[in-house]
Amino acid sequence: MKKILHYVLLAIAACIILAPFLYAVAVSFESTEETLAFPPVWIPAALHVANYGKALQTAPLLTFIFNSFAVSILVTVGQIITCSLAAYAFAFFEFPGKKVLFTLFLSTMMIPAESTIIPNYMIIRSLDWLNTYQGLAVPFMASAFGTFLLRQYFQTLPKEIYEAARMDGCSRLRFFFTMVLPLSKPALATLSVYTFLSTYNQYMWPLLITNSDSMRTVQIGLAMLQWDQGISWNTTMAGIVIVSLPTVVLLILGQKQLVKGLTAGSTKG
Amino acid sequence: MQKRSFWKKISALALITLSIFSITGCGGNADTAQSGDKKPVKIVFWYAVGGKVGDATKELVDKFNSTHPDIKVEAVFQGDYDSAINKLKQSIASKSTPNVMQVYDIGTRFMIDSKAAVPVQKWIDKENFDTSKYEKNILAYYTVDNKLYSMPFNTSTPILYYNKDMFKEAGLDPNKPPQTFEEVAADAQRLTKRDDTGKVTRPGMVLAIYGWFFEQFLAEQNSMYANNNNGRDSMATAASFNSPQGEKILDWWSGMVKDGSTVNMGRKTADTMKAFVSGQTAMTIDSTGVLGDIMDGVNGKFEVGTGNMPHPEGAEGGGVIIGGASLWMLNGHSDEEEKASWEFIKFMTAPEQQAFWHIKTGYFPVTTDAYDNEDLKKYEAKYPQFKVAVEQLHHTPVNRSTQGGLLGVFTQSRQEIESAIEQVLDGKASSKDALQKAADTVNEAIGRYNSSVSQ
Repeated sequence: MKKILHYVLLAIAACIILAPFLYAVAVSFESTEETLAFPPVWIPAALHVANYGKALQTAPLLTFIFNSFAVSILVTVGQIITCSLAAYAFAFFEFPGKKVLFTLFLSTMMIPAESTIIPNYMIIRSLDWLNTYQGLAVPFMASAFGTFLLRQYFQTLPKEIYEAARMDGCSRLRFFFTMVLPLSKPALATLSVYTFLSTYNQYMWPLLITNSDSMRTVQIGLAMLQWDQGISWNTTMAGIVIVSLPTVVLLILGQKQLVKGLTAGSTKG
Repeated sequence: MQKRSFWKKISALALITLSIFSITGCGGNADTAQSGDKKPVKIVFWYAVGGKVGDATKELVDKFNSTHPDIKVEAVFQGDYDSAINKLKQSIASKSTPNVMQVYDIGTRFMIDSKAAVPVQKWIDKENFDTSKYEKNILAYYTVDNKLYSMPFNTSTPILYYNKDMFKEAGLDPNKPPQTFEEVAADAQRLTKRDDTGKVTRPGMVLAIYGWFFEQFLAEQNSMYANNNNGRDSMATAASFNSPQGEKILDWWSGMVKDGSTVNMGRKTADTMKAFVSGQTAMTIDSTGVLGDIMDGVNGKFEVGTGNMPHPEGAEGGGVIIGGASLWMLNGHSDEEEKASWEFIKFMTAPEQQAFWHIKTGYFPVTTDAYDNEDLKKYEAKYPQFKVAVEQLHHTPVNRSTQGGLLGVFTQSRQEIESAIEQVLDGKASSKDALQKAADTVNEAIGRYNSSVSQ
């Protein structure tokens, strides 16, 4: 009985959280008339699949999705490597100036991204990386936030294991790969998801440094579906569904792993 | 010793990062390669409109490319108008500007001051190009110091949209839309529906808080937005919208909110348009550019009427200011490319293309010759509502107020005005105080801008 109640409550909560997305899906199949009706139409009278064709024709969304995926994966992998290594040093090593360096690291989190966009642009241009994947990805391959997140997690690992391993002659790098990384799956998973999504949702940077449809990313594609004086809701929503579908599918497929990762160690085994 | 091992780690880190760079060091750059003597002249065109308007733009570019084998235009979408102009600022600094760019109306002052533009007047004079068939009101906006700086491209004006069925129902003449502020207020009152408790269930009118509308209402009263005759005799040094005329607009607007005949629906015209189309209100003001969308949305559910932008009783000598965007040529390119850019601009604004453009997007044809086009005539027969917009434009005298204000900080100014309107509608400030506050902020910004460009 209690279980049923739980499910009902959870189902209601899920509906509330999903409502905007479900409405977007509904609108993407509606006629223009239905999108503008009041009260809002939740179930279209007929499925206007043509909206999807129109969205794809107005913006080359499939190319953009590929690009966004490529860039997001590169950035995620890059951040996992750089952040975990940096966090490892901060969590386990003792070296002079460690505190100062770490504070310096953290202080970069206070610098708004907008203020670094122009210097970043200048660097990318001087490297001749405009309109390339590396130009899109490399500037984001390290982050203070990721380092901080992982360091906090690494610090929860018992220092004794590290000392014991070192005593037995285990190299630092080996300890990192065989102990720290496997034990930190939850934190790594969290960082990956966060990094992937925030890269997938980037708008200003890709717009600034790319100049051709073959290099552009999804958020620019969505901007291509509207203009200053109006918006055609059904095609825009169709575009949004197309763009969010791959991430949703990825989430469903990877959900088990992710939940496992996030909750690992949080319960007694 | 400790220190050295630390640096060893750093260098290891750098090595790993470097290897990532090299792994990712592929892709891209392939499309920039081009060589050979007989290759067509390649020019880059940046545009800032998406959706159906973006589609129409791409279609026109394709048509140009197929009819001009010696020129190849590469059209690149650069986000909305604001994003595009930000991107241009970057490209000016790095000397990688496009050949032609679509810039919104209020970016005109910035474009001139950036010194990155070639006035199209240069080519008009060079070729003795006849501009007499271009709409004079539209040309007037982009003419500064007697020079036409950019070629008008997509142009719109706001008009009043009203629901004729609701007019009939309320006992109003469906063929007589209100012309003055006073008539709008009176009609809106009659069109407002209330329930038994007196709560408004349907406001007579909705109006988005959009700075562009405020600018129009000022011009309707032949009043200036900025000093030095709207910044057109010389650079504006201060805002002048904090005038009795400006207050009149806000008093009228907030008065309607107070008596319930209109509600504050926020800053998005997409929302007010939705309310109008779904029969939630009887009147709204919106751009001519959305006429087609309104007609599609209404789809015969009721009869749509259109009317002139209202003005206060007794206001004379004013009219509407055109809005939209124009095509700018940028400097720093070879003569050959500049010539090709000029050919492209001429093509985009020629009658046939403009007729196509008008039908596809609802923007005005910028040249009167377009009205002779057969397709356009058919379109006019289908949407007689557009006639009001054309007449409104033709009845507008060209003077400093209807030419529109020129400000380097227009985008910011528009936002300040919108905040001022919000405050007044919410009853947080009087019209006078809100406009004064907006003017103070804008004046400061103008001062900063002017000193930055005079250097």
